Amino acid sequence: MCLQNFPCQEVERHNKPEVELKTSPELLLNPVLICRNEAEKCLIETSINSLRISLKVKQADELENILTKKFLRFLSMRAEAFQVLRRKPVQGYDISFLITNYHYEDMQKHKLIDFIVQFMEDIEKEISELKMSVNTRGRLVATEFLKQFI
Amino acid sequence: MAATGGFVETDNAEAIITRIEHKSRKIESLLKQSKPVEALKTALEGSPPMTRDERCKSANWIVVHRAIMAIKDVDGLLSSLDAEYYDILMKYLYRGLSTGDRPTCDQCLRIHEKLTERAGLGCILRSLADTVNAV
Repeated sequence: MCLQNFPCQEVERHNKPEVELKTSPELLLNPVLICRNEAEKCLIETSINSLRISLKVKQADELENILTKKFLRFLSMRAEAFQVLRRKPVQGYDISFLITNYHYEDMQKHKLIDFIVQFMEDIEKEISELKMSVNTRGRLVATEFLKQFI
Repeated sequence: MAATGGFVETDNAEAIITRIEHKSRKIESLLKQSKPVEALKTALEGSPPMTRDERCKSANWIVVHRAIMAIKDVDGLLSSLDAEYYDILMKYLYRGLSTGDRPTCDQCLRIHEKLTERAGLGCILRSLADTVNAV
C-alpha cells in the first residue's frame, strides 16, 4: 500500500482523493474484484493518493439482510469515529473504506490492514450473534404471549 | 501514437479473433489428450497485447478460463511455465476472481496462492499497475 500526497491537477490548491473522482485515468490503477462466492465480494480501487475498499457481506436470508443493513448503517453514520470508514457504501456493496495519504501519514500501514481484516471478521460474528439474539427473543416473547391461550 | 494504434486494432480485431478460435481448437485437442499444462501455455502465449477491443479480450479469456479449470496439478504447471508468463497468468487470475462463480474462484485462489509464492508481490503489483496491457 503506497500512497502519497498529490494535489489536484485540475483545480489549484485543492487536494482531493483521486479514487473518488476518477477524473484522470493516469492516476488510477486497475480495480481488483475478488469474489469468494456469488454472495461475498471485495472491490479494491486504488489511485495515487487514496484507496477504496468495498465489501459485500454474505446475507443468507431476509432477516440477515435487514440486520446487516441496519448494523452497517449504524456504523457508517458514526464514520467520523472510525476515520477510515466511508459514510455511504459504494453502489452494490454493503460497506466501504476510504484510506487517504493523510491516514497513511498518521497511522501505521500494517495496523490499518489488520484493522480492516479484523473488522471483516468481527462483522460476521456480530451479525450471527444479532440474528441469534433476535430469534431467542422472538421465541421467548411468543411463548409468553401464547401461554395465555393454553 | 494512440491514433495509429487505433487503426491497427480495427484491422487486426478480426484477425485476432480468428487466431483465438484457431488456438481454442488446438487447446481443446490438448485437453482431450490430458495435457492441461500445455493447453494453458498455448492459451497464454497468444495473448493479444495492447488490444482495446473487448471482444478479443473476452474471447481470449474464455479460452484461458477453459484451460485454467482443467488444471489439477498446480505445482507442475508453475515449474514448467516461463517467468514471462507469470504476469499474464496473474492478470487472468484476477479476472477469474472477479467473475464470482464458485468453482472458478476456488481454482483461481488456489493457483494465485502458489503463483504468489513463486513470483512474489511484484507480480501482483504489475497486474494492478498495468493499464496498457489490461486483460
